[in-house]
Amino acid sequence: MTETKDNIESNENLDPRFENLASYVLGALDHAEERSAVENLIESDPEVQAEFEELAESADLLAIAVPPVEPPAELKNRIMEMAGQDSANASIQQATYEPARQRSWWQRAFQSGFAVSAAAAVLVVVVGSALGYQNNQLGNEIDTLRANLATESVVVANLQTELSTTLTDSETRVATMKSEMKVMEDDFGATTEMVVHQEEMVSELAVVNNALRQALSDQSWLTYVAMKEDYQLESWLASNTQQVTATEPTASGLIAVRGVGNEAVFQVHGLQQPQPGYAYTLWLMGNGDPRPVAQFEVSGIGSATIAFLLPEPLRFYSSVLVTQERVNGIGNDPTGTMVLSAQTN
Amino acid sequence: MNYQGLEDLELLAKISEKDRQALAALYDRYGRRVFALAVRMLNDPVGSEEVTQDVFMSVWRRGASYTSKKGKFTTWLFSIAHNRTIDELRKRRRDRSRENADIDDHLNIQSGDISPADAAVAQSEYAKIRAAMEKLPVEQKSVVELSYFKGLTQTEIATKTGQPLGTVKTRMRLALKKLRTALSAEMGAQA
Repeated sequence: MTETKDNIESNENLDPRFENLASYVLGALDHAEERSAVENLIESDPEVQAEFEELAESADLLAIAVPPVEPPAELKNRIMEMAGQDSANASIQQATYEPARQRSWWQRAFQSGFAVSAAAAVLVVVVGSALGYQNNQLGNEIDTLRANLATESVVVANLQTELSTTLTDSETRVATMKSEMKVMEDDFGATTEMVVHQEEMVSELAVVNNALRQALSDQSWLTYVAMKEDYQLESWLASNTQQVTATEPTASGLIAVRGVGNEAVFQVHGLQQPQPGYAYTLWLMGNGDPRPVAQFEVSGIGSATIAFLLPEPLRFYSSVLVTQERVNGIGNDPTGTMVLSAQTN
Repeated sequence: MNYQGLEDLELLAKISEKDRQALAALYDRYGRRVFALAVRMLNDPVGSEEVTQDVFMSVWRRGASYTSKKGKFTTWLFSIAHNRTIDELRKRRRDRSRENADIDDHLNIQSGDISPADAAVAQSEYAKIRAAMEKLPVEQKSVVELSYFKGLTQTEIATKTGQPLGTVKTRMRLALKKLRTALSAEMGAQA
């Protein structure tokens, strides 16, 4: 049977409101917007509503005329279970629970009585479709794995970049630390040199100290001076030492004069303690009037050391005297007991 | 309460009050048809279970939204089932996961695990729709099959058949009009 001219022409002058009704009833509209427009017309226009109901009844017949197929008994149980859960969760508006989709396709296929009872031709189609579905699922899984791999690759690349950056930072830090350590090592070297130098100085001072101890022990003041001269501490005392002749049996003394200067040191040993109210006095003689240099006391062992300035070079004087004079009673000439005398030439 | 004796709208009212026994009664009444329609369209009993489950859960959740403006209750119920199955069909087509068998394969589908009486009624109704379909011009029968059972849109049908979109729309409308007339006459005659 083919369409007649009358059939086609009967629709040519169709009211535009009805144009998409049949497509809507058959589920053949292309876009959701078109379906919404038709539904709005059905809601608002009684004539469209009436036309819709007429066409929809035909669609009902199409559905009703399909031979019923008994679904698996467990399907009803699942729906009832879901409805119960849905009610329980209604207050919190949880997402739809779809346990059927959580089962594998082959489990449901075997549990369904359909496959057993359907015609062989249908079975072939079903199995073929299921295999196609399985293949598609495998393809989807492969696609998913590929997508996951791609994602993991991006993650790995990011990690590599981060690691590279971290390594670069670490290398920079290490280089900086090395540079700082080099500076510290240099400082340490300098410090070490200073320490060595100070140790040398300490060692030298120890020698001096020992010499001083020896000098004090020997009561040899000039030995001490000579030692100092070696270290250029008291070089001005190095030359022009003069031996003092002792007139007192136990007494002896030395006088040291700086070679080019007028600075002199006198040291005496073995003197007796002066009489009460008297003190020893050092005199320079032979260059005009006698010149008292200083009045001094001696230690418990009869020693004394005096530093003084020569009015003239020592060679201008003929001798040096030590006498006992009254304390704060020095006259122009020596009057007390002479305990030491020495010729300068 | 004898739920089996309640009318569809009475069951729907109880479903709106979250009466699970009403839902069970409605399922007993229409579950096989909804499942059969899905099987008819998807040729996949597993996927048809999911569709059937979704349809009755939709009724459970949206039962209160039904109004007579949406047509008869069966119109509303089958439209939910049909639309849900079409969604699944188009999704699968997009995914190229399945290909339906030819129309004739669908028409040859047999009922299973139903009572002989139900099978007889079903076969009788099936015979009527088959007879009514046979009376349609082949072009009109084709657009009904392609749209209602294979889920193609009117634009896809126009592309597939090489016909203008307006012609496709006309054929759909005429096919439905003729089917209704023919089936009503057949069923009226049987009654």
